[in-house]
Amino acid sequence: MADKPATVTINLDGVDIEVAAGQPLIEAAQKAGTYIPRFCYHSRLEPAGVCRACLVEVEGPRGTALVPSCTTPVGDGMVVHTKSETVEKAQAGVLEFLLANHPLDCPVCDKGGECPLQDQAYAFGAGESRYVEEKRHFEKPIEISDLILLDRERCILCSRCTRFSEDISGDPLIEFKDRGNYVQVITFPDEPFASYFSGNTVQICPVGALTAKPYRFKARPWDLEAVESVSLVDTIHSKVSVQASQNEIIRIYGVDNDATNHGWLSDKDRFVHDHIYAEDRITTPLVKEDGDFREATWAEAIGLVSERLGSFDGGRIAGIGGARSTNEDAYAFSKFLRSVVGTPHLDAQVGDGLDAKFAAAVTPRAEIGDLETAKTILLWGPDLKEELPVLYLRVRRAATHLGAKLVIVHPRRTGLDGVAAHTITYKPGTGPDLLRKLAAGDGDYAPVRETLAEGPVVALVGRAGLGEDPDLAEAVAAFALELPDAKIMPLLRRGNVFGALDMGVAPTLLPGRVDVDDASGRAALEAEWGSLPDGPGLDATGILTGLAEGELSALVLNGADPVRDHPTPTTARAGLDAAEFVVAFEMFMSDSAAYADVIFPVAGLGEVEGTATNIEGRVQKINRIVPPAGTARPVWSIFDDLAAAMGTEFGAASAEAVGAEITRVAPAYAGAAWDRLSWGEGRDGFVLPTADGSQPLEYTPVDRNVPIVSGHRILHTARVLYDDGVIVRHSSGIAGLAATAAAHLHPRDASVLALAEGDLITITVDGEATLPVVIDPSLVEGTVYVPFNLAATAGLGAVGTLRIDAVRGGDA
Amino acid sequence: MSWFADLLGPWRGFTVTWRQMFKPKLTTRYPKEKRVKPQRFHGRHTLNRYPDGMEKCIGCELCASVCPARCIYVRGADNPPDDPVSPGERFGFVYEINMLRCIFCGMCVEACPTEAITMTHLFEMSVSDRQEGIFTKDVLLVEPDGTPNHPLPDTPLIDIKELRLGDGWLRATAPSGRAEFEGVEAWSPSARMGGLAPAEPAQKDRNATDETGQPEEGTDD
Ligand code: SF4
Ligand code: SF4
Ligand code: SF4
Ligand code: FES
Repeated sequence: MADKPATVTINLDGVDIEVAAGQPLIEAAQKAGTYIPRFCYHSRLEPAGVCRACLVEVEGPRGTALVPSCTTPVGDGMVVHTKSETVEKAQAGVLEFLLANHPLDCPVCDKGGECPLQDQAYAFGAGESRYVEEKRHFEKPIEISDLILLDRERCILCSRCTRFSEDISGDPLIEFKDRGNYVQVITFPDEPFASYFSGNTVQICPVGALTAKPYRFKARPWDLEAVESVSLVDTIHSKVSVQASQNEIIRIYGVDNDATNHGWLSDKDRFVHDHIYAEDRITTPLVKEDGDFREATWAEAIGLVSERLGSFDGGRIAGIGGARSTNEDAYAFSKFLRSVVGTPHLDAQVGDGLDAKFAAAVTPRAEIGDLETAKTILLWGPDLKEELPVLYLRVRRAATHLGAKLVIVHPRRTGLDGVAAHTITYKPGTGPDLLRKLAAGDGDYAPVRETLAEGPVVALVGRAGLGEDPDLAEAVAAFALELPDAKIMPLLRRGNVFGALDMGVAPTLLPGRVDVDDASGRAALEAEWGSLPDGPGLDATGILTGLAEGELSALVLNGADPVRDHPTPTTARAGLDAAEFVVAFEMFMSDSAAYADVIFPVAGLGEVEGTATNIEGRVQKINRIVPPAGTARPVWSIFDDLAAAMGTEFGAASAEAVGAEITRVAPAYAGAAWDRLSWGEGRDGFVLPTADGSQPLEYTPVDRNVPIVSGHRILHTARVLYDDGVIVRHSSGIAGLAATAAAHLHPRDASVLALAEGDLITITVDGEATLPVVIDPSLVEGTVYVPFNLAATAGLGAVGTLRIDAVRGGDA
Repeated sequence: MSWFADLLGPWRGFTVTWRQMFKPKLTTRYPKEKRVKPQRFHGRHTLNRYPDGMEKCIGCELCASVCPARCIYVRGADNPPDDPVSPGERFGFVYEINMLRCIFCGMCVEACPTEAITMTHLFEMSVSDRQEGIFTKDVLLVEPDGTPNHPLPDTPLIDIKELRLGDGWLRATAPSGRAEFEGVEAWSPSARMGGLAPAEPAQKDRNATDETGQPEEGTDD
């Protein structure tokens, strides 16, 4: 809803009120404090007018008529009655009809207690039904996907779920079937409701017809406690309500806000929470002795780590990670490594991201809200549906509802292709060539270039695959800046990576978006932190090779898993193997943590308090609802203790004190204090820098003449939403949903190699993986696509010379 | 005369004593003797079964939500389809009442949609350790044959027979607790009763009974 200043005057129950023009009556009445009952109306869906619960009387030229207030836009001079006898009778009548078939299941229904049907039947219903006839019967809950149960007896046919699936998520997998008294909502035969967004339908279903399996019978709404927080599953930082009962987090709901998620969540955001209760979660410090881990006390572990780290020259120590937790944790990490250890080598990314300065400080940077006004959206990067699902919803909305033209450049089909104006597929490695042709508007690309000439343009740029050169994204951004009114949004997906970069967990950045070579920025920070190590340090790849080659000795792994996430796992393994001392901050025994000498158990989702910064640079508050498992502690407090043990008191008494220090030390964060983020206008966070802050580094992307990589066949490997990452693997709700690993080949490549769908092949890049073949015509010939980091593709890596060998007898 | 009045003075204080001495005794020699309790007495809870042995509790937590002392803890779970514990989808997987906090108000009985939780006449439930004060489902739930459970042995003090008494309260509150339904048997018998207890007198017949709701001969001598 753009700011339309136009208003109209309506008479609502005898009172003249001025309301914004163009909105439905139900919305205007609600803003004026009059609640009209509704089932099918939802402010984020197109009105359908199917439930008739919202009938009100409107006076018209032909007398007073009952109209559904959700499909009636306000008009000047409209006279509306919402409480007349006729209205009350009509509303009670509709409720009686709705309850004619609705079972009285409330005591066993997961919605009971927070059910719009219950609430509105009490408020607007007649109190008693005249129906004594048998109700409709269906098989009680049927599984329509691995996460969702459908009870058709309870459905009141409001069409919220079908409209959401069709209009918002673009996965029309649930539909109405049959007519009249037999109409029912159902999925298609043999096609489960396998949408990444299926959980949203559970949240918006006004009855208990759609319920979530992971929450089934876990609690009743009245024994839930909730805090507002943000989801750190990806960098959108969707607003969520984390709900716990008996000190156990059992549900996550989306919270509506205009800034980020519009109330929607991906199923990963929604069902990821139970990893914190996984049986093999690390809850006490572990120390390696003769190759095996044994439990240790905190005092022993802190003592050991401080002693070992103290025994190396500061410059021989490095740190990777910090993107999984809060800004406060990342800040403590950065401060500890730079000021106590004295090393410039730290990186929040694992060789799979973008240039730190580009990601953290690109100017002009797009906000998610800019998608609402954009005329053209250029997406050259990952498949948003897989990597940033909530951003996918926002881009999809811009393309389907707001008239934005979407241009997608990606090596294969993406979730958004159906709504795009232009889609371009290319062979990875040839991106620079494509960019040049696109910029010039050569031949086939002329119409695309023309579309791009219409501003305002929002360019979403990132690495389309893990094998892609990160500088290509920057080159695309540099091109996009020439487009009219262009703004750039760098796409990274890992949790709080933007927050970590802003806290200086990058070889080239200091806290608050300051270039590490910026003399005045350094001086200001040195006044707070003491002297800083010189110049830019090594990035993650540099650190890992440095360890392998003996230039570095020790590594602090702060919630990072380079063995799984680095594009060349062999580099990661070699580095970790060669390191003399590795300390890991982890929740689980990840492949990388297994190399550690000491593991500190850390607090996770819902157990920490702090702030986090999202993809648009919006800082928001994260809240805690349960205590950490076992003796696990928040990361900042561990660094606090380590610093003290190494002779420097940080003196932070709480995460809030660290937060206050950030607002003082990091220029871009000035004014983003915790209390301002908790209430009032700051509840949706602030896009940084705030009005009180400044951004010393304003980075303009440059085209570094990315070399073209040629090869007969090239691997494209990219992440999927449900992979084999350590968190997903431990979340019982979604672990089973991990995508099936396969090698996707273009039909012509398959026929050249004499392979058919289902044949097994061994692919060798950095490591190797044996996978069944899937024929994928959406690829460009010569491209082989393999999903990254699934159980079967874990060691494969993304960079290296591709070799394909058919496995004999592989016709499984 | 005043000296005579003064002489009598100390004795006058005993007037009440003398008067009472010749009246019939009301004291019950508990625990040797026990009064019959009112039919709606609020004693220890039981969790009932249907006559076919299925548990009545569906784990809905309504009792827990209404309890003013917050002393009930319930968790529901999915009924195993091949061996259901209760009719329907859900059953009470955990059911605990902290008797140390319970105020015996009976709100839980009123809230229960299936008449799973009811109150009996047993009130002797002293325990020797706080942990035992939390009555778990094992204790509260009647056996499939209708035998009620109790953690302590049947002694003269703890008269376990009293665990079989108490449907009167339930009857008064069901359905909807409306006066016109009083005396109407509108509930299913619990297994422990092995059938319906005699109906409680309706409001209009109350005048014939004493204030406890019991027929006259049910009170003491
Ligand atoms: S399942 Fe729920 S959301 Fe879908 S039509 Fe039925 S009542 Fe509406
Ligand atoms: S009798 Fe009252 S206090 Fe006791 S458990 Fe029931 S509701 Fe709670
Ligand atoms: S005893 Fe009754 S109210 Fe309590 S959980 Fe069981 S069914 Fe629900
Ligand atoms: S809310 Fe208006 S018809 Fe359903």
